[in-house]
Amino acid sequence: MTAKSNSVVYDGVSKAFGTHTVLDNLSLELAPGELITVLGPSGCGKTTALRILAGFERPTAGRVLIAGRDVTNLAPNKRGIGMVFQAYSLFPNLTVIDNVEYGLRIRRLTRTERRRRAGELLEMCGLAAFADRFPHQLSGGQQQRVALARALAVEPSVLLLDEPLSALDATVRTQIRDEIQRLQQELGITTMFVTHDQAEALAIADRVAVLNTGVIEQLDAPEVVYQRPASEFVARFVGSVTELTIDGKRTFIRPEDLTLEPDEAGEYTVTGQSYTGERTIIRATGTSGAADGTELISSAFLSQAQALPPGTRVSWQLTGTPAFVTETAAA
Amino acid sequence: MAVMTPVPEAPAGSRTPAPEAPAGFSATRALAWARWLPVIAVAAYVTIPLLCSIAYAVLPGGTFSLDAYSVLGSDAKLTNAIVRTLLITAVTIVVLIAALVPAVVAVHLWAPRLRTVLEVLCTLPLVVPPIALAAGVVAMLRWGAQQGRGTTPNAISQFLQSPDLPLILVGTYVVLCLPFTFRSIDAGLRTIPLKAIVEGSQILGAGVWGTVWRVVLPNMRGSMLFSVFFATALCFGEFTVAATLNQQTVPVWLFTVSSTDFRASIAIAVLLNLITWALMLIATLSAAREARHRD
Repeated sequence: MTAKSNSVVYDGVSKAFGTHTVLDNLSLELAPGELITVLGPSGCGKTTALRILAGFERPTAGRVLIAGRDVTNLAPNKRGIGMVFQAYSLFPNLTVIDNVEYGLRIRRLTRTERRRRAGELLEMCGLAAFADRFPHQLSGGQQQRVALARALAVEPSVLLLDEPLSALDATVRTQIRDEIQRLQQELGITTMFVTHDQAEALAIADRVAVLNTGVIEQLDAPEVVYQRPASEFVARFVGSVTELTIDGKRTFIRPEDLTLEPDEAGEYTVTGQSYTGERTIIRATGTSGAADGTELISSAFLSQAQALPPGTRVSWQLTGTPAFVTETAAA
Repeated sequence: MAVMTPVPEAPAGSRTPAPEAPAGFSATRALAWARWLPVIAVAAYVTIPLLCSIAYAVLPGGTFSLDAYSVLGSDAKLTNAIVRTLLITAVTIVVLIAALVPAVVAVHLWAPRLRTVLEVLCTLPLVVPPIALAAGVVAMLRWGAQQGRGTTPNAISQFLQSPDLPLILVGTYVVLCLPFTFRSIDAGLRTIPLKAIVEGSQILGAGVWGTVWRVVLPNMRGSMLFSVFFATALCFGEFTVAATLNQQTVPVWLFTVSSTDFRASIAIAVLLNLITWALMLIATLSAAREARHRD
């Protein structure tokens, strides 16, 4: 199993439905073999961007290039793209192996060649035992694995994933996410992964593109997006953040850069803790003075957190660099 | 649990004198019987005339005999009527499926807003009485015929009424089938994630027709089968339009022959009735099996 490594270029792509602009002059370049996640809230245009690359939508302006070739006006079935949809796109009338063979059948491969390749892919996705089942006999996670195998069977130039995990439950989600990452790295296939789940986006990506109202707010490696967000929107949307006004400037601080200490004279009161394993998230609310109503989010090791039960009055201390500070003074 | 416990403050003896069983018990039992009453009534309403017809057809004078069915072999007119009706049925099914399925699929895929328009159009025949439809068709054909020999309208009128394959009946039957078959096909398409399937197929390289043929049609077999059987039942049962247009189909033959050989007409009618029921049963069962398949 080999895959072609192709570049993908969005060149000033805009899309409007009527008067509503969904994508505004989007430019984005995927290097060959790269996995980019496109992250954003619902309605930010991420799915539209993906569907334009797939060929299901025609951009209002701009071009899309795959491996240097302009495909803007090419029909979806001529683009040689592999795509995994949110859910339920397997053909219910075909068995698992027939689903995987579908694209090969369209490409008129011989039966033996088709069987060999489909078998190989099912093996890779850990589904060899399910070849003769029908989609409705599989769990959601298994169905998405079949969808992945089906997309990869045609040796696509690009792999598109449209929120492939959002219909699955948490454990399966992580499993399939890791599997996608493993296959992508093994095959070296250029991949665009669209999601609204920031943890998912950060975990899997080479680079993350954060999209907001049709514009890319930031395009960077996951750790950069998290630690050094380029805008208020990114700071708020990716990860948890505490917003404070320090020296007259709006300052965004990640939980691990904020430490809470018991302080009888503190302006904040601990409201709750959530244990997440390695770290414990502590929430506190300002109860007096200028701090009234302000939310603090801090993360600490369990031993430190145990000293701060709900109701404890605390004060905060900046123990790291703030993720983002506004240029201008806060109003 | 609490529901099943007898209510203590209303002792059985207080209202009804029945001593052994609690009052509620016999009441529920009576209610259970009452629930079956409508079903029994409908079953009786449907089966008694049919059973009587069967008895009349195969038990002449109290002894079993299939003599009434001898018309099947001896009456050339019946044979012709059956062949003609089968031909009409076949063409009706082809035209119906070929026109309706692509239209409904296209509306679902590309113009969901037009769905209501299509639905209203397809439901219209339901509110037009068959005799009104027949009258309209007759008026049109007569106008064609009145244009005189050799004219195009006359030729078309003649062609449509050709006794071997009266296309005018095919057209009428397709229209009469629309309300029910549209509903069936529309519902069939709604139960499958059509857009996801079509896009999934396209991205794998299939064109529109390949997609429809390979993955859309196979997933709506149940509703198409229903349409086929419904059209068959309608073609073998429709009398008004066929009689008005003076076309010798099976129902028209039945009507004609009932004045000379009543037993034969009943015998054939019973046979048709049972065949239609069997077809409908197959359609319903196969649709149900497919629905189970999809869950």
